Amino acid sequence: MIASKTQAAKPKVGFYGFTGCAGDLLAILHCEDELLDIFNAVDVRSFLMASSEVHDDEELDVAFVEGSITTDHQLESLADIRKRSKVLVALGSCACFGGPQTARLGYGDWKERFKKVYGNTKHTVAKPFESRPLDEHVKVDYYIPGCPIDRYQFFFALTRLAQGMSVELTTFPVCAECKWNENECLLLKAQLCLGPVTAGGCDSRCPSHNLPCIGCWGPAAEANVASEIDLLKERNFSAEEIVSKLRLFGGAAMVRRFADLLGIKAEVPARRPRPKKVREPVVAGKAKKKSPSKRPAAKSRAKKR
Amino acid sequence: MSLNRIKIESLARVEGHGGITVDFKEGKLSNVTVDIHEGPRLLETIAQGRTPSEVVSLTCRICAICTLSHRYAALRAMEKALEIEVPPKVRLMRDLMHCGEMIESHALHVFLLALPDYLGYPSAVHMAPEYLEDVQAGLRVKRFGVRLMELTAARSIHGENPVIGGFGRYPSKSELLRFKYEAESLIPDAERGVEILRNLRQPTYMEEGMTFMCTKPEHDRYGWVADRILVSNGQEFNAWDYRKLTNERVVPHSMAKRSRFQDKPYFVGALARFNLLGERLDGVAGEHFRRCYNLSWIRNPMYNNVAQAIETVWALEEAPRIIDKLLTHEEDPAIVAPSRDKGAGSAAVEAPRGTLYHHYEIAEGRVVHTDIITPTAQFLDMMESHIRVAAKNLTDEGDTDNIELKLEMIARAYDPCISCATHLVKVRGL
Ligand code: SF4
Ligand code: SF4
Repeated sequence: MIASKTQAAKPKVGFYGFTGCAGDLLAILHCEDELLDIFNAVDVRSFLMASSEVHDDEELDVAFVEGSITTDHQLESLADIRKRSKVLVALGSCACFGGPQTARLGYGDWKERFKKVYGNTKHTVAKPFESRPLDEHVKVDYYIPGCPIDRYQFFFALTRLAQGMSVELTTFPVCAECKWNENECLLLKAQLCLGPVTAGGCDSRCPSHNLPCIGCWGPAAEANVASEIDLLKERNFSAEEIVSKLRLFGGAAMVRRFADLLGIKAEVPARRPRPKKVREPVVAGKAKKKSPSKRPAAKSRAKKR
Repeated sequence: MSLNRIKIESLARVEGHGGITVDFKEGKLSNVTVDIHEGPRLLETIAQGRTPSEVVSLTCRICAICTLSHRYAALRAMEKALEIEVPPKVRLMRDLMHCGEMIESHALHVFLLALPDYLGYPSAVHMAPEYLEDVQAGLRVKRFGVRLMELTAARSIHGENPVIGGFGRYPSKSELLRFKYEAESLIPDAERGVEILRNLRQPTYMEEGMTFMCTKPEHDRYGWVADRILVSNGQEFNAWDYRKLTNERVVPHSMAKRSRFQDKPYFVGALARFNLLGERLDGVAGEHFRRCYNLSWIRNPMYNNVAQAIETVWALEEAPRIIDKLLTHEEDPAIVAPSRDKGAGSAAVEAPRGTLYHHYEIAEGRVVHTDIITPTAQFLDMMESHIRVAAKNLTDEGDTDNIELKLEMIARAYDPCISCATHLVKVRGL
């Protein structure tokens, strides 16, 4: 673990981004008051968006990874980051669940959509495929959800990880935060609010602005999606609209856990091609879980989030 | 001449993943490409069949740094399509949030991403020991931009408070006043960026004439939102004719599509705005503009950094003026409901890095067509061209020390946003 090292040297940390909007890395750059302190407290070995000094061949104590995986090149570098890192943290909803680019996962129309956008041009840069969250490819130790992440959850995680401790983020839904903030319930006003099934951590940001939660934090650990759907149907929302909302940010997590409720029949996360080079990742800490090459069945994986 | 290829795999200190490749054949420059490695997201196809409000929340996720510009463009386009007229207070709030984004994005770029190049550091953090006051001034300005976005949009990134027809919640009078005074107090900090850049010598090896484009506000003041587009050849267009301006094509070395105007590359961004509308700048920003402007501004993209620094000053002057007007509107207007469930609308706004177009078509309350043209997609060809000129000049003169850094600096001056660049698409009827 990292703890034994902290006395001697600062923990080595890397920040990486794949397919997304760079919002989670930007959220870290938005910590103006703490930015210089962060860079002093840990040894930042890679943060390409902020610094051209990059050391990408070293072992890391913690890697923070934003974005989902959508090309073979990304898959290779993710495997490399995993190999070099003791702890790998998925940063933001794209990394945790696949992000909005995963909202049609399971409908089997990716190829057709890709052609709509890019036509028949053969791309020389990389081989693209449908977006998947990080844990479809490698073991992820911790998840910091949010679109984008909340900077205080990030500080909390960084501080704990820098000291070799584990990280437990909130398990309650937005709905609970909404009650603490004494907001008027939007479901009672017949609005399509996803607060009851969405992971908390944003301080019920949208309901506190009189606006329904659109679920950008992904499904809460104990989300009861079936009863949410019933509640909304009672308020005259169509099944189609409810599913569309649940899927916008629910990513692969929503599909894995609630495919039946969402009416997705296709055998969902199909296996992605793996680059030849991927070997067993070096994993410290809670190393008991299965290696990524023997992916456990979708059901048991779902619980981790 | 032994050079065969200069390859910069990953551009640092820009948003997203891109690189530069310069090829030589028998000692002669043969090809220059800006490669975009960003993975495809196909968000426009995800938009198909969703409600307009879902699509507004989706398309702002194209890019975090330009999130509010995307949102502003999307809201204006959707409201045109749905025939919604928003009250003046809503427009003022949107302009205020737009100021927040300009301040944050420019301060980040000028102080933290561009300045380290000029001063010879790999990052602002490395620069801090020597230039602590400057870095801190930059961070103060940036933080204000972030907080202004939080105040108006509910979050600094992907804030959901601005919605079709209005806002979920309005800030209180006392909050607005606090922000007004803080903006005024930060002007000297922002001027520091202008001063540093003004006193640095800008390299000239990439100079080449450019075509510029930006939105042209109807009033005679400087601004970032309009339905008319002005081109440096004197032509003007309606924003909804944006396709005439931005002819696009797909290239193999890039997941981004490219734009050309009359088959020529063009520039959008702060430098374009200042070349076309600079004389409209007033206040302290206007003074700085007149002091800094010279003829190189029409040929040299490095001055985009200076233009951004001055624009930050203008935004800090503009925010208090908007707040004064906001304070005269006592009532918080309710969200305006659409009067129909179908229609088409296009809108343009200036994002920090240039003109951004959103176009939507709606039928039976669902989005059936999405078209988004981002600034970076528009200026990639111009950027390639400047890098080509620089690579040629530098190698012809045998001045190849640090050539990678020199080429990278040109790319960074454009302040490219590569996540945005991969979204120049047209999707219809999936
Ligand atoms: S989770 Fe949201 S903020 Fe983060 S990269 Fe994805 S779209 Fe951007
Ligand atoms: S309320 Fe919902 S949509 Fe809004 S920030 Fe929180 S999780 Fe995201």
